[in-house]
Amino acid sequence: MRLFLTLLTLALLGTLTASAQTREEIVLTGGPALRFMEHGKGAVSHDVYWFNFVDASVIRLNELRAQAKPDELITWLIYRPGYAARGEEMGVDLLAQLQAKAKQVGANIHWFDSKEDLIAYLNKGLDRDKIKISNFDYFGHSNKACFLFDYSNKIDTMSIAWLHVKDLRLIHDDIFTRDAVCKSWGCHSGEEYSQWWKSHFDVAMIGAIGKTDFAHGGLPALSNSDGKWTQ
Amino acid sequence: MILPTRMSRLTLIAGLLLVAGFMGAGRLGAQSNDDGATYVPPPGTVAPVAPPLRKGSPLDHLANDPKMESLPAGFKEGNTSGATYWVAHRLVDPMEGEGWGWVRKSGDGWGSGIWIALQETPGLAVAPHRKLVKADADLDWEYKFWGKMAGYKAYDPHLDEQLPVFILQGYEVIGPANPLSIKSGPPGRIQHRPSGASSRESRPILSDPGVD
Repeated sequence: MRLFLTLLTLALLGTLTASAQTREEIVLTGGPALRFMEHGKGAVSHDVYWFNFVDASVIRLNELRAQAKPDELITWLIYRPGYAARGEEMGVDLLAQLQAKAKQVGANIHWFDSKEDLIAYLNKGLDRDKIKISNFDYFGHSNKACFLFDYSNKIDTMSIAWLHVKDLRLIHDDIFTRDAVCKSWGCHSGEEYSQWWKSHFDVAMIGAIGKTDFAHGGLPALSNSDGKWTQ
Repeated sequence: MILPTRMSRLTLIAGLLLVAGFMGAGRLGAQSNDDGATYVPPPGTVAPVAPPLRKGSPLDHLANDPKMESLPAGFKEGNTSGATYWVAHRLVDPMEGEGWGWVRKSGDGWGSGIWIALQETPGLAVAPHRKLVKADADLDWEYKFWGKMAGYKAYDPHLDEQLPVFILQGYEVIGPANPLSIKSGPPGRIQHRPSGASSRESRPILSDPGVD
């Protein structure tokens, strides 16, 4: 009996330990193009390197891990079909590599296969009454109106998975903490997306005016001298 | 005797706490898996580098097969065995969008033509222009297409438009045809005016979507 009571107490304590985490830090990573689709496009051929968004994401995840408080979860949201298809094209298991990277940086990996999957996670993947999002970073293709999780992977130069500014209304407007830090590292987000983001969530999102460059490793930088970060 | 018993209990409790902690965290844990091959760049090089072409892959064929000036009438690729097919008319979008052209069911007229994004099936059937020296060399050519309309749409980041998707599984070349007089672009396309007269909801996104 005493042993049973002890085990019951411990089980409750375990539950409390998990639910004590009240903040979530999210890194969202879009997928790469297929080389098949981008072949012959010369200087504008995208994603020669398959992990350009991933490497930048890992750098940011390591930063978040270093700064994380005990009550903060770190979640890595990855568009799975993009890496599955690119891995198939290359003949390697990129999904396994991503899982290994997530393990290395101590992030909870959560795959999504569609915009609907992503929105469902943001809205109710965790109990959003208790666990708010305190950090959000996006690495992937984008234009000023969209995050493009898929780009030139299924259809040449087009997307079949995206989050348009008009889709933001589908995400609950209270998922962020009041002091949340949000940033899109993709191209052009500061030209329109940031304004819609702020309008919907009442939280600023830093975005680029102009293009950003992932090609040189590290966190992406602004491509042009007249570009700038804004929110 | 009392002290050792208490210590044993404390040790047991601490151990169980540790186990419970892991169990609690496990519900939120990573979907980890360490198996799978890892691509290793050649010695002396660092990423980003393109991996070697896989021999016989769709990319290998695209990169290395000889290109033609035009495809002969009757040329076939992919699965062309079905009795039901679509007639497809190629047009490069004058608005510089990424749509492929129109398709219509074989028994219908062009009045029911649908402006589409073409989803290729590498390894089975890809866009005919990939076999040509110039990608626009099949302007106003017609084909028989086998395949189906997808249940999802494509987003064209250059024009901020959504297009129906045709999944190509096979084609046969019909040949050059007269230009069609129907409007290009998806239903609801407006003539974008750079004056800014168009609304926020429909104005074009003319910026390059690429990031690297």
